[in-house]
Amino acid sequence: MNKTYFDKVHTWGRIWCIAALIFFLCIPLAISLHLKVWPDPAIVGKGLASIAFFFVTGIIEVVAYSPMLGAGGTYLSFVTGNIMNLKMPCALNAMENAKVKANTEEGEVITTIAICASIITTTIVIAVFVIIFALNPQFSEIMSSDTFAPAFQQVTYTIFGSLAATYFVKHWKISIFPIAAITLLLVFVDPGIGVLIPVGVVLSMLGAHVMYKKKLI
Amino acid sequence: MFSDFKSDGFMYLIILAVIIFVCAQALFFMKKAWGRGKELGITTDKLKNAVTSSAIFSFAPAIGIAVTVITLSVALGYILPWIRLTVIGAIQYETTAAIAALEAAGMTGGISQPITDPEIFSAIAWVMTIGSILPLILIPIILKKIQKGVSDVASKNSKWMDVMTAAAFIGLIAAFIGRGLAGKGSSKEAIIGDGAGVLSLTALIASIGFMLIFTLINKKLKKNWIDALAMPLSMVLAMVVVVLINSFLPEIAAIEWRY
Repeated sequence: MNKTYFDKVHTWGRIWCIAALIFFLCIPLAISLHLKVWPDPAIVGKGLASIAFFFVTGIIEVVAYSPMLGAGGTYLSFVTGNIMNLKMPCALNAMENAKVKANTEEGEVITTIAICASIITTTIVIAVFVIIFALNPQFSEIMSSDTFAPAFQQVTYTIFGSLAATYFVKHWKISIFPIAAITLLLVFVDPGIGVLIPVGVVLSMLGAHVMYKKKLI
Repeated sequence: MFSDFKSDGFMYLIILAVIIFVCAQALFFMKKAWGRGKELGITTDKLKNAVTSSAIFSFAPAIGIAVTVITLSVALGYILPWIRLTVIGAIQYETTAAIAALEAAGMTGGISQPITDPEIFSAIAWVMTIGSILPLILIPIILKKIQKGVSDVASKNSKWMDVMTAAAFIGLIAAFIGRGLAGKGSSKEAIIGDGAGVLSLTALIASIGFMLIFTLINKKLKKNWIDALAMPLSMVLAMVVVVLINSFLPEIAAIEWRY
């Protein structure tokens, strides 16, 4: 039987994902072996218990993001991380520019290429800047200064503001409800972005589904 | 003996191996996707645009990630945060995980105190790694099933699926827009620019404004390169506006309605 492109992507993705899993687990193992110290399991257990909610958000992220990232994009994004602030906006922007849809083979190709380009650029930029920071502490002080540090806190908003301009103009009818609902929710309770994203996605899809059924869109 | 253990040659070897692994994976998928794109008849221009736009777009957030490495380097040295933020890591996760591990080890000073005990350092490396690997276990098992489910639904009712996909994207964007309008800061300390306020609102309005301007310009000029550069340029220009307001109007920039 001939394998489709998607089948092949899943085969490659699984191999890379399992290789990454083994490789990443070897990192703390190598550190422990090199330093000849083994951490107290009680400290590791206590530390993991404090961040147990990340396990829950990890499951939600896989289910919620993979239809948007595509198959290749999902395998790549979860290995390299920084999904919400980098990989996802890259994928969305690239699909908009190329005028292709998610969940099509064209969308799959474009999101994969966009995410690969993002990974390579990010890896190089982080490496260059960390080396610059390490060699020039004054530069690192400037970047962490009161002038620049608050600006870097806003990078995420500039990313999603730019995306919003494209998506909200195009789909303004289904945009009003989720923005209003999320903002209202945040006035009363802020559950953190890890919870807010799936809540936003579910609310938005529910609102759009109702509008679709009532033939308003 | 362990004075430089956080940034010794061995740690540099690990980060080098990580960089090679991550880039090799990206180049492998890029080559496969590029070949398939040509088979599907996608023009080289469109494929190149996806690369250019994503590369330029990634620049500013990557600097933001490098700044997070600096923040964590006081306690952990440069290399461990660098490794963690190159693989799986996310800015919000790594800082929280490092603080959780430090507190579990009885260090109450958080990430502002240098770690001098190799045992605590290795414990943090284990916590940060184990705490983030669940998706890598789940994805090889469930991703194909999820994708198949999505494509089955898409083939049955493509119009509904298009609406739902757009709605999912909008829900995601709305979460961040809502956070910029009314979200609390993620840090317990009062940090300027952390919660919703003048700076977050400026970043949103400026980036939306610049993006709309570029869209209008391109409606007239119809150039592919404007499409590719519109989003990264809007982001950078919005950042410039934020830096200017923060520098020249610091009292106004410090106004936040959520802390």
